[in-house]
Amino acid sequence: MKNTMTAKIALVLISVAVLAGPGFGKATQSVSRASRPRSEGGTPATQNAQEPARAYQQLKYPKLADLQVPAVQRLTLPNGMQLFVLEDPELPLVHVSALIRTGSIYEPADKIGLADLTGTVMRTGGTTTKTGDQIDEQLEQIAASVETYIGDSSGGASMSVLKEDVDTGLAILAEVLMHPAFRQDKIDLAKISARSAIARRNDVPGRIAMREYAKLIYGADSVYARQAEYATIDSITRDDLVAFHRRYFHPNHTMLAVWGDFQASQIIAKIKEAFKDWPKAEVELPPVPKVTYEFRPTVNAVRKDDMNQGIIRLGHLGCLMNDPDYHALMVMNQILGGGFTSRLFKNVRSRQGLAYSVGGAYGADYDHPGLFALSCQTKLKSTVHATEAILAEVKKMTQEQVTDEELALAKDSYLNSFVFNFASKGQIINRLMTYAYYGYPADFLQKTKENVEKVTKADVLRVGKAHLRPDKMQILVVGRPDELDKPLSTLGEVKTIDVTIPAPKP
Amino acid sequence: MEHAVVRRRGAAVVLLALLAIAPAALSQDLAEFEKRLMKFTLDNGLTFLVLERHEAPVVSFHTYADVGAVDEVKGITGMAHIFEHMAFKGTQTIGTKDYQAEAAVMARMDDLFLALKQEKRKGDLTDPEKLKKLQEQFDQAGQEAQKYIVHDEYEEALTQQGARGFNAYTSEDATQYIVGLPSNKLELWMMLEGDRFAHPVLREFYKEKDVIMEERRMMENQPTGRLYEEFQGIAYLAHPYGEGVIGHMSDLQTLTKPEAEAFFKAHYSPSNLTIAIVGDVDPAEVKRLAQKYFAGIPSGPKPEPVETEEPAQRGERRVTIEDAAQPVVLIGYHQPNVNHADYPALEVISQIVGVGRTSRLYKDLVKDKKIAVSANARADSSKYPSLFVFFAVPAKGHTNQECEQAVHTQIEKLKTEPVAPEELTKAKTRSRASLIRQLDSNSGLAAELTFYEVVTGDWRNLFQQLDKINQVTAADVQRVAQTYFTTKNRTVGCIETAAGASR
Repeated sequence: MKNTMTAKIALVLISVAVLAGPGFGKATQSVSRASRPRSEGGTPATQNAQEPARAYQQLKYPKLADLQVPAVQRLTLPNGMQLFVLEDPELPLVHVSALIRTGSIYEPADKIGLADLTGTVMRTGGTTTKTGDQIDEQLEQIAASVETYIGDSSGGASMSVLKEDVDTGLAILAEVLMHPAFRQDKIDLAKISARSAIARRNDVPGRIAMREYAKLIYGADSVYARQAEYATIDSITRDDLVAFHRRYFHPNHTMLAVWGDFQASQIIAKIKEAFKDWPKAEVELPPVPKVTYEFRPTVNAVRKDDMNQGIIRLGHLGCLMNDPDYHALMVMNQILGGGFTSRLFKNVRSRQGLAYSVGGAYGADYDHPGLFALSCQTKLKSTVHATEAILAEVKKMTQEQVTDEELALAKDSYLNSFVFNFASKGQIINRLMTYAYYGYPADFLQKTKENVEKVTKADVLRVGKAHLRPDKMQILVVGRPDELDKPLSTLGEVKTIDVTIPAPKP
Repeated sequence: MEHAVVRRRGAAVVLLALLAIAPAALSQDLAEFEKRLMKFTLDNGLTFLVLERHEAPVVSFHTYADVGAVDEVKGITGMAHIFEHMAFKGTQTIGTKDYQAEAAVMARMDDLFLALKQEKRKGDLTDPEKLKKLQEQFDQAGQEAQKYIVHDEYEEALTQQGARGFNAYTSEDATQYIVGLPSNKLELWMMLEGDRFAHPVLREFYKEKDVIMEERRMMENQPTGRLYEEFQGIAYLAHPYGEGVIGHMSDLQTLTKPEAEAFFKAHYSPSNLTIAIVGDVDPAEVKRLAQKYFAGIPSGPKPEPVETEEPAQRGERRVTIEDAAQPVVLIGYHQPNVNHADYPALEVISQIVGVGRTSRLYKDLVKDKKIAVSANARADSSKYPSLFVFFAVPAKGHTNQECEQAVHTQIEKLKTEPVAPEELTKAKTRSRASLIRQLDSNSGLAAELTFYEVVTGDWRNLFQQLDKINQVTAADVQRVAQTYFTTKNRTVGCIETAAGASR
């Protein structure tokens, strides 16, 4: 069901591939250069006396209408479930999204894949009163959806129904969260899917690069990089799924956001009713290993003989989103690798024509350090040259201040597009719930904006120096290492990574 | 060609009545919509669709150029897409310090590129010294041109003012330019977009072709990209849908800037452009500014449509590529275009057979037989007759042949037995709900409005398509399946894992 688009993959070509990392990727695209108009909300851009002013720079813009940010109602039910509620009468729909405190970070190393299977089969395996197939029929007849999943550091559920079907939708959602039956046939089906994904994991070279790069940075056994194998999938039993669900799914560990066409008091009453028999429980979360990182320069190659390009990925560990330098790093990212007008896009793509896809970011995540990852995909015969060009841009970030124009463009872009953070109710309520889930203040976005406004050229250089380590970059190339423009060893001693998939036990 | 999938997002407006499943409700939604939508056409033929949606102080712009890869001819494949890239390079006033001087250098580059091409064509007789000299002169002219360029000015002008989703895409049927801005920047967009299609300058043309060749290589490095190019190539004997959007490598290498300029002149007259503006705007102000910034673009004739018709197929076609990747199978049947009377039934078939966990393919191939991890089917809402495609990804240890056989069995069932009333109702309900869910974003709705206006002739078909889907009967489904899903109308494409493929 994921592949509707695949058949059409060759048909639609898009001008820019955005390659921002996690965390910062959520920020806007932006960037640099001389003599741009000044915006009413942002920083004045200096006018370059050499160039005549353009007509568009003379435009006077009306004041932007005040942003009416709707207030999200928050409350805690008697069983400890935290609710976020926002009325949105525009369309006759009701949506729910939920976050549950669990994740693959809690699964044992010999059962990698357990969290994912649990998240899938909770929904497909049905509940104590209905099979998964019956739920499928019931939902699809009313064009509704209820889905569940478990990711790295959270579990989740979603519901979307026409408003007249809200009772049906909520009843199914509650049953799935509280009383999943984990029928064996759907566990088997999910395992077939998991094994097939393992068999196919080296088919798309970009995925090899992302996966192997995460392993390089976090370590192959890290909870943020490790991967399921046939053996770990085979070792997972129904009892494991039942136990994993029983351990983590409790109302006092659940946040639920609801938005759509309803009256708040009525939907709150309905949710209370749907989850009234779900008892609170004390849960002790297993310790999660801290990310430890030793900065070191490495050069790594994955052989893939059917490629006519090299995929390059390089960088090192990133930071947390609550790092005091976060906002200055965000500005730095816009200038270095974000969107159409970043230094990497301009210098590697537009000026040198080396790549269609180039960019990246010093990444930040909510609860563990993100990845600093820059990437590029270029023909084999320019792979080392492109790598060197990217390395040079990283080094420059630690040596010279950015220009006034680059700073102004990056900040203006962020500040002028800030209003898009409030373009939909779903965006507003989910952001608030996510901040709450990871223990970030509700006004984190607003504070980020205020801090971005204050960032100076000196700040960008300071955080560049503090966070980027151009002498300790880890470099990964997927492709044909023997066919490059220069030996990969020009960049350092090369380690070849074997991505052969360990065979399943007979 | 991309909408049937991408177009399931969409945007806008209070549509409470849409909920009611009674068909009568539809006309109310449309009426509600018509109150908020203003359509006008400038004297030069450029059509605007303006929809007010005041949820947030933002606005989405969607410029739909009715030109795509289908409008190319042999030798210039990839041209529509190249032009799309060039439309970010500025105009006679944006992106340059001295347009006259720059134009002179660019003309010299065009001449040198032609001379280079001629010398290279000589093959064994090519004079390496002459080639080297020409290349040096070409590179030198390129460097000289750089002196006049104000790099990336077009992108930056919009980016600095808060642009979101600034991009463009090219399909077989269309080239589309999109951006969102805070709503007080309406005039900036008007000025820049008007200039973009009035006075485009294809600067750094030859450099950008290098970027596009890398884009082609990216497609070649994806297993499904490799497969689709082969599949598409054998499915059509005559119609240009058989050529991919990206273009052949040799065409990309040899295409010239004058050829791109001629393509622009032929296909970008105002009569071939339709623009949707959705968001927090005042339609009267939009009209005033549209007049100010777009009315001066000289009118030109609407280009002729593609007249080549794909002849009836005489027998099944099949391509198998041996590859390092795991198996995948595509099964295509020639189908009529989106405006054909049989199209709604094809949409219903794709819902019943290919979408969701209760679809026939998912139930049979994935849940019951467990031979596939994914199986779907979809009709193509294209401008010219194209392909209805079934797609299956075999489960580990299972084969394309098993999947293909199971798909054929399901197709036979469609041809021999009427679909159940519940399946038909479900398909119709889901089409309706899918429309409602498309109405929640400015950018999605802008895309929908331009598609229906240009390809079906009236934006109202965004709603009226549901009337047609509602009228589809079990007998229609059976008849349409019998008409199109025949052996000789079939094209099959597979990836088979090569023995000893390097993993």
